[in-house]
Amino acid sequence: MRAVLAIAKKEILSFFFTPMAYIVVASFLVMNGFIFSVILAALSQPGSSSASPMAIFFGGTMFFWIYMILMAPVVTMRLGAEERKSGTLETLMTAPVSDVEVVAGKYLGALALYGAIWLPTLLYGWILSRFSPVDWGPVWTGYLGVVVVGMFFLAVGLFTSFASRNQVVAAIMAFGVLVLLITLSILSILATDPFWKGVLEYVDLWGAMQNFARGMVDSRQLVYCLSGTGLFLALAYQALQARRWA
Amino acid sequence: MIDVRDLVKRWGDKEAVSHVSFTVGRGEIVGFLGPNGAGKSTTLRMITGYLRPSAGEVFLDGHSVSQDSKAVRAMIGYLPENNPLYEDLRVREYLEFRAALKGIPRSARAKRIQAVLEACEVTEVADRIVGTCSKGYRQRVGLSDALLANPPLLILDEPTVGLDPGQVVHTRHLIKQLAADHTVILSTHILPEVEAICSRTLILHQGRLLFDGTVADLHRGLSGAGHVLCGVKAAREAAQACIASVPGVSQIAFLEEGGGVARFRLTAPGGTEVPEALFRACAQANLPLVELTTEKVSLEEAFLSITTRESAQEVLA
Repeated sequence: MRAVLAIAKKEILSFFFTPMAYIVVASFLVMNGFIFSVILAALSQPGSSSASPMAIFFGGTMFFWIYMILMAPVVTMRLGAEERKSGTLETLMTAPVSDVEVVAGKYLGALALYGAIWLPTLLYGWILSRFSPVDWGPVWTGYLGVVVVGMFFLAVGLFTSFASRNQVVAAIMAFGVLVLLITLSILSILATDPFWKGVLEYVDLWGAMQNFARGMVDSRQLVYCLSGTGLFLALAYQALQARRWA
Repeated sequence: MIDVRDLVKRWGDKEAVSHVSFTVGRGEIVGFLGPNGAGKSTTLRMITGYLRPSAGEVFLDGHSVSQDSKAVRAMIGYLPENNPLYEDLRVREYLEFRAALKGIPRSARAKRIQAVLEACEVTEVADRIVGTCSKGYRQRVGLSDALLANPPLLILDEPTVGLDPGQVVHTRHLIKQLAADHTVILSTHILPEVEAICSRTLILHQGRLLFDGTVADLHRGLSGAGHVLCGVKAAREAAQACIASVPGVSQIAFLEEGGGVARFRLTAPGGTEVPEALFRACAQANLPLVELTTEKVSLEEAFLSITTRESAQEVLA
């Protein structure tokens, strides 16, 4: 655990040493702030729906997914690829630390960064509460969705980063996998065959996020995200192990 | 301390390391010598547990590297080839990270880091960003990391590559000091380095261990291929006839004749007996021997001779 925390801490530190960190965080906050204000403006129009702005913010727009698909690979792309390229993986893998601890430390670091990027959005809820009563239940389940979907996406990014020695290639591979995952959501809407529609509903992340944002926690969707996380973490571990045979 | 048994590493069907076995005792400084691509780094990587061997085993104080990898790694301070470091951290941050990885208790870390910074003389760059340090400093930062947990075994892969002559001397001096209470394995393709630092040499070529012995053995083993220079105060023909009668001389090369002295260069696989026999032969023939020198074989020659021959046994026979 000591090694896991040390690795996570080092990743957080290194992330903020790169200009990329500030570009990602700043553009994320600027764009989300803009989207949030657009949602508020639209809902303030007379005759508009009575939907909760936070519900639309988390699940209702494609912007949420565009950020998620772009941000997760940027947070994770350095983690393994940079170590391989610079050769520091050798010092890491010859330290008295198990490969599981290496994967766990890197992943924990990525999760912490991801959390730090989302943290300021809590202000939106606080701003809303100044002007109208806020139903906090769906806001918290919305954040639960942000956490579990984020866990899934970061695990994908960690795997591709261990699978490549080039950060950009790692990011593009992760991007490809994430686009595919979201395509499944679109397919589930388009599918007409009841069997396939049923199958695709299990892997419908967009629909899952809409449910979370409305305050509905469906255990099947939680299980899907968590098992996806587990699968890609296991793949990341395998990709790291493969270095010992190379 | 180290017991390497029949180690093999294959990449596809090419054997990068082929059935290498050796042992290293506590306190030895062993020089791992070989041309580039000989399999030195691959062997060291298998000892440190970074790479898994295709066959064979490595034991450190009885612990198997493959079965008990974590315990073994805790015993090793490793400076990999090209000394990879995290460029964006400060030297002290880097060492703090490494200390945490190596399980040095939080309370002891600052003291331990200060100790290695001083031992490797990097205190003055402790707060600089690693990426901005000169190559010499970076090398010593890598060395500080290897020393951090005060491991009994140091494995240094080409520790002086790319350093200027002053830094090379300094680094060698440091390694020699460390050898007082560490076992050291050092890889290099620089021969004088081995001669300057190591008590024992292993020569690796094309993945095979060709020589295992002391530096003195290396010289002695090759004095067989040595030469004797001599000058005889006599006519060339008479002198040559006399020398030819000396047992053990395989080749006589005439060099020059001047001032009544004929000079020759003899190839004498026999070693030390030849000069003595030559002296007696000349004395018997009443030809004054005015010059007699044994040419010491340089390590370079020894190395080339070993790596261009099929096996060390031939050389040592």
